[in-house]
Amino acid sequence: MAAISYDSREILAEFAQKYSIGYPLLSDRASEVIRGFGILNQNMAPELRSYGVPHPVEYLISPEGVVVRKYFVPNYQHRVTASTVAFEEFGETAGDAPAVTLASGALRAQIGLASPSAFAGQQVSFFARFRLEPGWHIAPPSIVFDSPELLRQEVTFPEPEIMSFPVLNESLPVHSGSFEGRGSLLLRFPLPDGGLILRGSLSFQLCSETVCEPPQTLPFELPLTLEPFLKT
Amino acid sequence: MSSYTFRDLAEKTAAMREFRRLRDAGLPIPAEVRDRHVAATNDGYATGPEPGERVPDFALPDQTGAMRTREELTGPSGLFLVFHRSADW
Repeated sequence: MAAISYDSREILAEFAQKYSIGYPLLSDRASEVIRGFGILNQNMAPELRSYGVPHPVEYLISPEGVVVRKYFVPNYQHRVTASTVAFEEFGETAGDAPAVTLASGALRAQIGLASPSAFAGQQVSFFARFRLEPGWHIAPPSIVFDSPELLRQEVTFPEPEIMSFPVLNESLPVHSGSFEGRGSLLLRFPLPDGGLILRGSLSFQLCSETVCEPPQTLPFELPLTLEPFLKT
Repeated sequence: MSSYTFRDLAEKTAAMREFRRLRDAGLPIPAEVRDRHVAATNDGYATGPEPGERVPDFALPDQTGAMRTREELTGPSGLFLVFHRSADW
């Protein structure tokens, strides 16, 4: 991992020390590499101190130098967390990341965050793992967070299979066995530092080949620590 | 955000300056001023090479003054490269 900005080496050295950053912070004083990538922000007039900044983009680059994936969010106040990338690219979650287990009848679900902490404005990943007892199925479930600290949320599940239910005289898209959904939460900016409880709910309907249970909604909570920005 | 259009760089600069003036004075920032500022700073958002495309090679000094190249920074899984605005402000 490495980061590039137009700051001087001295500023980067101070920043690295202040935040205990171990990875290289590269100094692109003349914004040449920023231009080379085609991401110079051309909205900044030469007299502004922000003249020469890039549009914020993050790339995962293969050993051969080819872009594998890139991350960007639509404005400067929002960034993707490192844990999001580790999670999305490599399936890694931090060992101390919060998770809850929900169970009802034939369903067990574990919902958790990729990381226990984040900064305001960042995007945090979550996962939702489901296990159904044999013979049971659910339509694609819904997971909704209703915390006001969130600006945006999304979750995706694997492609469901279409199954026919003779008792219902209907074919429905369902999941069976074990499957995992993944989602992301975009935190607002700014937010006060400290502990935050993300409240959400999981809604689903369990069906076997002979019976469909009533739809259920299970509430859950996940704690997230908002880290303080050192600068004011 | 896309509902704001700017004739030229001067208009964008004015939008950014108005936002900064209120913020630096600790005054309340009307939503319209904030939105115009955000729109001005993000106009023409460019995200560079697409997945599958090669990135330019580079050599830049790091915070210790050592020159670093893309190739040398790359590990077995590749390189995660972050472009950010500034560490200073």
